[in-house]
Amino acid sequence: MLTNTYESISTKNSILKQRITLWYTLLIIIFGIFTARLFYLQVFRHDYYQRSALLGQLKQYDIPAERGTIRALDGSSVVPLVLNEKRYNIIADPKLIKDPSKSAEILAPVLSLPVNDLISKLSENSRYVILAKKQTKDVHVNIKQLDLIGVFEDEVTIRTYPQGELASQLLGFVDDSNKGRYGVEESLDALLRGQDGRLKAITDQKGVPLLASGDNILIDPTEGDDVVLTIDVGMQRQLEDILKSGLDAAKSKSGSALILEAKTGAIKAMANYPTYSPSEFSSVADTGLFLNASVSAPLEVGSIMKPLTAAAALQYGVVTKDSTYYDPSRFKVDDATINNIEEDGGAGVRSIADILQLSLNTGATWLLMQMGGGQINYQARTKWYDFMTKQYGFGSKTGIEQGYEEAGIIPSPTEGYGLNIRYANTAFGQGMTATPLQMGAALAAVINDGTYYKPRLVQKTISKVGFETIKKPEVVRTGVVTPQISKEMRDLMNYVVQKNNRPAVRNGYTVGGKTGTAEIAKEEGGYYKDRYNGTYLGFVGKDNPQYVIVVRVNEPGVAGYAGAQAAAPLFAALSNMLIDSFNVSNP
Amino acid sequence: MSLVSMSQRRITRHAVTANHNDITVRKHRPDYIIALLALVLLALGFVVVYAISPGIASARQVSEQYLLSKQIIAIFLGIATFLIFSVIPYRAWRQSIAVLVLFAGLLTIGALLTPVNAQYPAHRWIRFSGLSFQTVEFLKLTLVLWCAHFISMRALRGELSDGQKTLKPLLYIIIIIIGIAIIVAGLQSDLGSAAVMVAIIVCIVYLAGMPLKRFLGLTAVVAASVVVLLAASFVVPSLRYRVDRFSTFLHPTSDCQNAGYQSCQALIAIGSGGVLGKGLGKSVQANGYLPEAANDSIFAIIAEKFGFIGVSLVIVTYLLLFSRMKRIMLLAPSLYARLIVGGILAWFSMQAIINIGAMIGLLPLKGITLPFVSYGGTSLLFVTGALGIVFHVSRYTTFSNRLDTQEENSSVQRDKQRPRPLIVRRRSA
Repeated sequence: MLTNTYESISTKNSILKQRITLWYTLLIIIFGIFTARLFYLQVFRHDYYQRSALLGQLKQYDIPAERGTIRALDGSSVVPLVLNEKRYNIIADPKLIKDPSKSAEILAPVLSLPVNDLISKLSENSRYVILAKKQTKDVHVNIKQLDLIGVFEDEVTIRTYPQGELASQLLGFVDDSNKGRYGVEESLDALLRGQDGRLKAITDQKGVPLLASGDNILIDPTEGDDVVLTIDVGMQRQLEDILKSGLDAAKSKSGSALILEAKTGAIKAMANYPTYSPSEFSSVADTGLFLNASVSAPLEVGSIMKPLTAAAALQYGVVTKDSTYYDPSRFKVDDATINNIEEDGGAGVRSIADILQLSLNTGATWLLMQMGGGQINYQARTKWYDFMTKQYGFGSKTGIEQGYEEAGIIPSPTEGYGLNIRYANTAFGQGMTATPLQMGAALAAVINDGTYYKPRLVQKTISKVGFETIKKPEVVRTGVVTPQISKEMRDLMNYVVQKNNRPAVRNGYTVGGKTGTAEIAKEEGGYYKDRYNGTYLGFVGKDNPQYVIVVRVNEPGVAGYAGAQAAAPLFAALSNMLIDSFNVSNP
Repeated sequence: MSLVSMSQRRITRHAVTANHNDITVRKHRPDYIIALLALVLLALGFVVVYAISPGIASARQVSEQYLLSKQIIAIFLGIATFLIFSVIPYRAWRQSIAVLVLFAGLLTIGALLTPVNAQYPAHRWIRFSGLSFQTVEFLKLTLVLWCAHFISMRALRGELSDGQKTLKPLLYIIIIIIGIAIIVAGLQSDLGSAAVMVAIIVCIVYLAGMPLKRFLGLTAVVAASVVVLLAASFVVPSLRYRVDRFSTFLHPTSDCQNAGYQSCQALIAIGSGGVLGKGLGKSVQANGYLPEAANDSIFAIIAEKFGFIGVSLVIVTYLLLFSRMKRIMLLAPSLYARLIVGGILAWFSMQAIINIGAMIGLLPLKGITLPFVSYGGTSLLFVTGALGIVFHVSRYTTFSNRLDTQEENSSVQRDKQRPRPLIVRRRSA
């Protein structure tokens, strides 16, 4: 050990130098292995890792198309019913928020939320917490100015309603997943929505697209079309007011009314009560409120069916407008008895006009008998069934631009028990169901020289580039009745109004109509003894009919027959409103 | 090779006779090439940090300038440290070693008592009025200086294999380092740095010429300690994360969503870079996908941006730097100087190996920086500082084979208390 000589030092030093070289060689080997590994990863396995990279980095986005607006006529001008507005969801990433209580104190006044709620939201163990939804631009500007770390905004588009609750059930709404629900929004969802665009892009980890690269693909969105409705906003507003006060006067909780242009099928006004505010759809507890009852809630229509039964009998030629018969005030049909439930139904010789004016159930039954050559039989049933379904369109949807339209039920003329008594009932609007809209469209055909127009709500659609598609009146069928019979029916119904609904009578105008007091079927079968729906089906015009009006009052609380006491005054108010404010003339 | 011969020519041409104190080796032109290579790496790091700072700034919710300005300051401070350390006579470190060790001990204790930043559990910081300081970097430098001093002293006295005087203290030091890594791992969790420090000791002992038998015994003890450490990892709950890293190491892509996330993202970055890379501004993985993109994972980002060609050049640059350091070691004027350079080379190379090895999936992730390139002030400061010391030593390289005979003489002469090593007696005779 102690043999350190000058030479041994030199020898030792050369040994040490060998060690240095050896070590350095080891380093070269290690880095050589690293380089080989890099070559493997970057050259041999490049394709695999490139795919893995794109799997994580390439993200696909929908670029939402702007939803079309909904507008409507107001006299000769067009006013908006539904518009779009940008709103902002305020979002936080709690991981980036260092001091939740401090951030909460800053945010609370801006978002008008309690500090404690915000603290708990900002302390959540999550990376995405929605603090407030659909905030206005003012809030957006304030949040931007705060420039808080970990607080973000998400731009959303919401529907706004310049006319408030007007026509809400007819319009429907757009839910949070951007889907049209109920009404026009649901029915015309595809048209209004347009086609979302698409962006495929390399993004950062949070999903924000990085600079454009060859891997980015962009498909521009096709914006949704604007829709102009046939609704007249002024008329709609008046109809809603009249409906509300009419229902109040009749002590009824709910009801519907609609006005249809007889010669085009265009709906000019249509409303139900109660209604809701579409901008606050999410706070509505009873989803039944979303339904447009005029198209979605078929009912046993009651005696308003009688003019249609009469028109059918006239069209079949089994009676004439001057036919008379002896009414025994009750008919036995099979094992059951048809009674006249309204006061004037004593026995005696009656005319067609009497059947309508006195609302004789026996009369309607007699009309049906005539279709069968004097009795209710297979022929009577099938003839009446054919007329109801093929001419009047009952039992199938009209195809109006509304979500959740119902078809109603017409019983089969050949299958089931007690077909004769059941069919006798249908002659005066019981034992079958139809929507008020189906009734209005059928009456329009009867009084309009026999032309059935498809009921419609859309006047025209306008694409975002300005291309207009005007919807023409659509004739579904002609010859429902002959023009002669049409004229006779107008006279008959005018006679009924002259006799029974004096408030609706106006000099120089033709106003026709018929009441209905419909029994309400129990779910378990049979009818309630003390519950009725009041209905009214009528028209108003000068020499020619211009508007068809259908009124429905559910279970009015006033004494007397529902049709006469509750629905008739509403009809009168509506027809007078049309004459006073909407220039009823001969189209 | 031409570089070497060229600089040799320069050394002879520019050689001047240094005659300060008792150093008799001529002071000559230093090895500018190591400075140049370090500058290349610094510039690469800066350019990459510059290119990815927008993505990182957005992912971390800080301003873009924040990262860049910090890196610029770090680089300037690093260059300043390099310049200062390059003029400090290397003997001065030996003279002040007691102060350095004391200071390093105090800093470490202070750091262990400081609460940990939860966002970066793998780094131990001392925060001082807004500035943060990673004590472990100072510890590494101090360890190199102390170990070079201690081992060269023992070697000159022929006590290198002495169990009591040499091996025992070394084992204590190693046990303390590994002990700190184990005991306070839940807090400190700087296993990578512990590995670097152990590597520094092992390399210095090896370079000092410890007989192979002893050296392998020492290495065996170190290996045993590592096994104990790993075993402890599986038992102590606070070390679970290391178990995760280890199992990730064994099956890098088995759990890409959780424990293996960083490994997988690093491999994706490297692999998707291909031969030529995506280009400087085209890195995607730095945008929030790959954690620590500017610090520990910067190598993967370089691989993504510049491809196989680019990273090969980086590796070549490191090897060139290491080869220059090797050359300075071979021609070192004294064993002490050689061991300083060897310790620093052990530090740099081990850190590069651990970092790159982790990125390419050959080693477990350790949370350690890539020397000169990674973003991070303290690391940069001490790495450039250490290179400054190497630069200084390069002024005194000699082709004489008479290592150990001059400077050691003077230093030992000052220490009259200690018995003079035989070697000194031999020379004075």
